[in-house]
Amino acid sequence: MNLVWKLLRQHISIPQFVGFFFANLVGVVIILLGVQFYNDYQALDNEDSFMKADYLIVNRKIGALSGLTGVQNTFSEEDIAELKAEPFVERIGAFTPSSYNVRARFDVEGFVSFSTEMFFESVPNEFVDVESDAWHYEEGSVDIPIILPKNYLDLYNFGYAQGKGLPKLTQGILGAMKLQIQIDGNGQHGDFYGRIVGFSSRLNTILVPEQFMRWANQQYAGGNVTKEPTRLIMEVSNPTDDRITSFLQDHDYETDEDKLDASKTTFILRVIVSIVMVVGAVISILSFYILMLSVFLLVQKNSTKLENLLLIGYSPAKVSFPYQALTVGLNVLVLILAVVIMLVIRGVYLEMFENFFPDLEVPGITQALCVGGVLLVMVSIFNIIAVRNKVMSIWKRKE
Amino acid sequence: MNKIQLIDTLPNVFQSRADIESDIWNKNVEFEKEKLYLVEANSGTGKSSLCSYIYGYRHDYQGRILFDGEDIHKYSVARWTDIRKKHFALLWQELRMFPELTAWENVELKNKLTGHQTKEQVLEWFEMLGITDRLNAKMGRMSFGQQQRVALIRALCQPFDFLFVDEPISHLDDTNAAIMGQIMTAEAKKQGAGIILTSIGKHIDLPYDQVFNL
Repeated sequence: MNLVWKLLRQHISIPQFVGFFFANLVGVVIILLGVQFYNDYQALDNEDSFMKADYLIVNRKIGALSGLTGVQNTFSEEDIAELKAEPFVERIGAFTPSSYNVRARFDVEGFVSFSTEMFFESVPNEFVDVESDAWHYEEGSVDIPIILPKNYLDLYNFGYAQGKGLPKLTQGILGAMKLQIQIDGNGQHGDFYGRIVGFSSRLNTILVPEQFMRWANQQYAGGNVTKEPTRLIMEVSNPTDDRITSFLQDHDYETDEDKLDASKTTFILRVIVSIVMVVGAVISILSFYILMLSVFLLVQKNSTKLENLLLIGYSPAKVSFPYQALTVGLNVLVLILAVVIMLVIRGVYLEMFENFFPDLEVPGITQALCVGGVLLVMVSIFNIIAVRNKVMSIWKRKE
Repeated sequence: MNKIQLIDTLPNVFQSRADIESDIWNKNVEFEKEKLYLVEANSGTGKSSLCSYIYGYRHDYQGRILFDGEDIHKYSVARWTDIRKKHFALLWQELRMFPELTAWENVELKNKLTGHQTKEQVLEWFEMLGITDRLNAKMGRMSFGQQQRVALIRALCQPFDFLFVDEPISHLDDTNAAIMGQIMTAEAKKQGAGIILTSIGKHIDLPYDQVFNL
């Protein structure tokens, strides 16, 4: 193959290949970085891993008078059906409140002990993004999984603990502790343990599994559980949809504005990342075009040599191989370098992220590598076929 | 491959001509192994076309060409590659050497593909043809006569059933032409192969089994 290569490397234009190399490098780096950045950002945003960003929580506006006049602030079945029929709603679920008394005690050995009246709420399980065995209540068990609002933790850490010089608690430590819970109602009393499976910054409530709520409402509230919900949770297809805002306004409903904003931000970021990736793809495609042009030019310039090689008994596959190896080799080199550059840039922005979110857990780079790998394979197959076709056209030109 | 048959073969460009007087075109012709043929031709009678048809890189003819009774029109790319590597050696009139490689590299390019000849054998041929001193010279720097000799050596670096040599001695003196004839026939005999030689006037003096006028 040495001599063949010695022949066929004639007329290779280094500037053209360097041009391709850097152009393609820029394109691939942009694509990989887009994928990786989006994934990493998801990790930031999904600090709240219990709820997807596209979920909105809706309630009726509580005016100054509504409390006094006794106007209903619940959603009737018709209200829910009406919402469900809206094109922007993908799924909808109701919050079920507890109809019994809940008291929680919380002891941090030797430091602090809280005891408070509280309440539970539940939403349909499909809206809670926790592994199903962690978010499961077995009837009769004393162990209740609970999701608390992240605000509670912040309140303690930045307010209470700060002021009293108490140690700060992380989500991890709290997850290992248990809340003592007492439930009263319907003339019955029960003792339970609350296991904190996580904190949510999206849900302003104390969430328990649907199964527990159904069971406990039956057990401690008797039949008195047919209350209409005061809050709804819904998944929307596109949180930036104007129809959502206008629908909510028309019906005097409200949703946590900044949540809507947050999902808007995510949505817009997704659009921007998509655009950036498309730009990367365009650069890559153009650079790929340069590569193909310069390979075709090379084949054209060396067509007599290629033809003679074919005539003295070299197969089209053998003659194509050097150019195929050249292009595939360049592609591999581009990918390796692109991954390295991506990792360096990622290192820089992750450092910035970590200043804001100390216990941030970022995903690996598997997905970006997969995207890079798929690109490489696709482009290489295309290269191999294109070179082969070009050589075959030399074979056939004699006809 | 034992037999090459041409049945009513005629280059498309000759179709309109009614006055074709040829022993090959529009006739039934057979070439067999172990025989020695001379095809004499004037220029423009389609000698190189004949080469390219039999070697499978042009198909602009009518009639049929058969190898062992099989029409070569249907041959696949892989089949042709195999034939060019193992069954059919061709020395082109225009040589088709690589000017940027040395004489030795040109021969090696073919011999590496087939692994047919030993280095000693190749060197012996260089010696016999008096071009040992040009072994490492770039092909492009050699005279056409020298290139013809290298081209013959390259053509012999493969197993073959037929050796087709197109005007091999157009630029050679009689001594070298005779040596070339000697090498060719010896190698063909060793392989039990047939030789088809073309010429436009000057030809090597050999005991031909059949002479055609193209």
